[in-house]
Amino acid sequence: MATQAHCLSYVGCNFLRQRLVLSTLSGRPVKIRKIRARDDNPGLRDFEASFIRLLDKITNGSRIEINQTGTTLYYQPGLLYGGFVEHDCSVLRSIGYYLESLLCLAPFMKHPLKIVLRGVTNDQVDPSVDVLKATALPLLKQFGIDGEAFELKIVRRGMPPGGGGEVVFSCPVRKVLKPIQLTDPGKIKRIRGMAYSVRVSPQMANRIVDSARSILNKFIPDVYIYTDHMKGVNSGKSPGFGLSLVAETTNGTFLSAELASNPQGQGTAVLPEDLGRNCAKLLLEEIYRGGCVDSTNQSLALLLMTLGQQDVSKVLLGPLSPYTIEFLRHLKSFFQIMFKIETKPCGEELKGGDKVLMTCVGIGFSNLSKTLK
Amino acid sequence: IRKKHPKPSQVDSGQKLGSENLIDETSDIEDLLKEEEDYKEENNYSPETLGALKWKEDLSRKAAEAFLRQQQAIPNLRKLIYGMVTEDNEEEGDTQEELGGLFRVSQPEGECKHKADSLDCSRFLVEAPHDWDAEEVINSIKDCFVTGKWEDDK
Repeated sequence: MATQAHCLSYVGCNFLRQRLVLSTLSGRPVKIRKIRARDDNPGLRDFEASFIRLLDKITNGSRIEINQTGTTLYYQPGLLYGGFVEHDCSVLRSIGYYLESLLCLAPFMKHPLKIVLRGVTNDQVDPSVDVLKATALPLLKQFGIDGEAFELKIVRRGMPPGGGGEVVFSCPVRKVLKPIQLTDPGKIKRIRGMAYSVRVSPQMANRIVDSARSILNKFIPDVYIYTDHMKGVNSGKSPGFGLSLVAETTNGTFLSAELASNPQGQGTAVLPEDLGRNCAKLLLEEIYRGGCVDSTNQSLALLLMTLGQQDVSKVLLGPLSPYTIEFLRHLKSFFQIMFKIETKPCGEELKGGDKVLMTCVGIGFSNLSKTLK
Repeated sequence: IRKKHPKPSQVDSGQKLGSENLIDETSDIEDLLKEEEDYKEENNYSPETLGALKWKEDLSRKAAEAFLRQQQAIPNLRKLIYGMVTEDNEEEGDTQEELGGLFRVSQPEGECKHKADSLDCSRFLVEAPHDWDAEEVINSIKDCFVTGKWEDDK
C-alpha cells in the first residue's frame, strides 16, 4: 500500500507532540508503538489522549487508531482546518503543552484559528502561557505572522492540581513564511516580568518582585515586574503563585525564565523570596546560554525556518536542548532537511557560553488552502 | 583511490580555523584516518621501504591525533545530531537473535529505551547552575547588557 510505504514508525511516548505535529504538516502518517509498554500502567495517558483529540478538532479527515491497551497509536493526518475551536485540556499538563504545538500548526490552517483552551495556565513542567505570550509570539512575528488577529489572552488563571484557567489564542494564516536572518541578538535593554498570585495573599507577588529585583538590578537598571492578582472565578480552582521573567534585547530577542510554586498538597511550601531569587538566577542562566531565540522556542524557530520560502534562513542559538536535538532528527526524517550547524565559541567576549549558528534552506511550504479560497 | 592528500601544512591551517566548516573537517579527518590505515597496509606489503616512509607515517599520525583532540574539544554537533538515527525500523524485531529457534534474547537496550518513554517536555533544564554571586560569573555575561561594553561599529 502506498500509505503504508511512507509511514514513519517510532517507539515510546517521548516526543509524541513533535512527531504528530510534523506528521500533520508533512502529510506522512506515523505509527508509534510500545507506548509505556513496560510500565505498570501502560499506554497513553489522559493528557496525551487530550492532545490527540485536540489534533482531531483542528484537522479534517484525520484517521486515528489506538489499540486496546493504548500502547500503539497510528495517526494518518488530515487537512488543517482551523476555525473556532474550544478544548478542555487535561489538568495533568499545562495549557503550554498544547499551545506549543498549536503555535507550530496555526499559521497553516485553512481558516484562521481561534481557540479557547481551558486547564492549567502555569505549572512547573511546561512553558507557561505567560512565557509563550512573551517569547513565541514575537518569534512568529519575525516570520511574517502578524496582524490584529494575532493574540494570546489569559482570561482566567488556573494552577495545578485543580486548573480552571482559560486562555484564548487566535492566529492569522499566511500563504508563505518569510525567511529569517537572526545572527545578532543585540544587547539586553530591559527586563520585564509578571509575578502572579491566585487564591493566596496578593502580598506574595510583591515579595517575589522585591527579591527578583535585588538580583537583576545588579546587571541592568531597567527592570519592571508587574503583579497580577486574579480574583473570584478568574483565579481558578487551586492556590499558587509564581514568576515569569523576560529579557528583551535591542534586536528584538526575548529570553525567558519562570518558576511556579509547588502545587497544593505536593512538596513543601515555597517562600516567595526564594522563588523570586531562583527565578532571577534562571534568567541569568538563560542569558548565559544566549542566542537569538530562547531555549524553549528553539524547535519552533527551526520548524518555521524549514517551512519557509526557498531561501536561506540563519539563526544563532544557545546550546541545543535535548528536545531540539530530537526535533532536528525528526525534521530530517519528515522533511529531508538537514541544517548546517556551526559552533561559535565564546572566546574572549563576556557574552556567556558557546553559541550555535543554524543555517538551512526552506522547503517552500505554502498554505494551499489560502490560494484556493 | 583518494583524490585528496592532506599535507601537514593544510592540517595546521585547518586547526587554526577551528570549526569553520564542520563538513570539511569530518571528511578531512576521515581521509587522515584512512591514510593512517593505508600506510600500515603498505608497510605490510614492502618491509624494505619501511625506513623511507617512516617520517611520513609519523606526520600523518600526529596530524590525525591533533585533529582528534580538536574534535573532542569542540564536539562535532552535526555528527552528534544526525549521526545516530533513532527512527525505529520494522525489520529490527525480525533480525533479533534467537536461541534454538524458540527463545528470543531480550537485550537491555539501555539509554535509548529509557529515553523513549520519558517526559515529553520542551524545557531545557539547567543541570549545573552557575554561582551567580561570584564576581567572575557575573562578569561572564556583562556585555550581554546595554550597560556593558559595545562593539566599535555600533
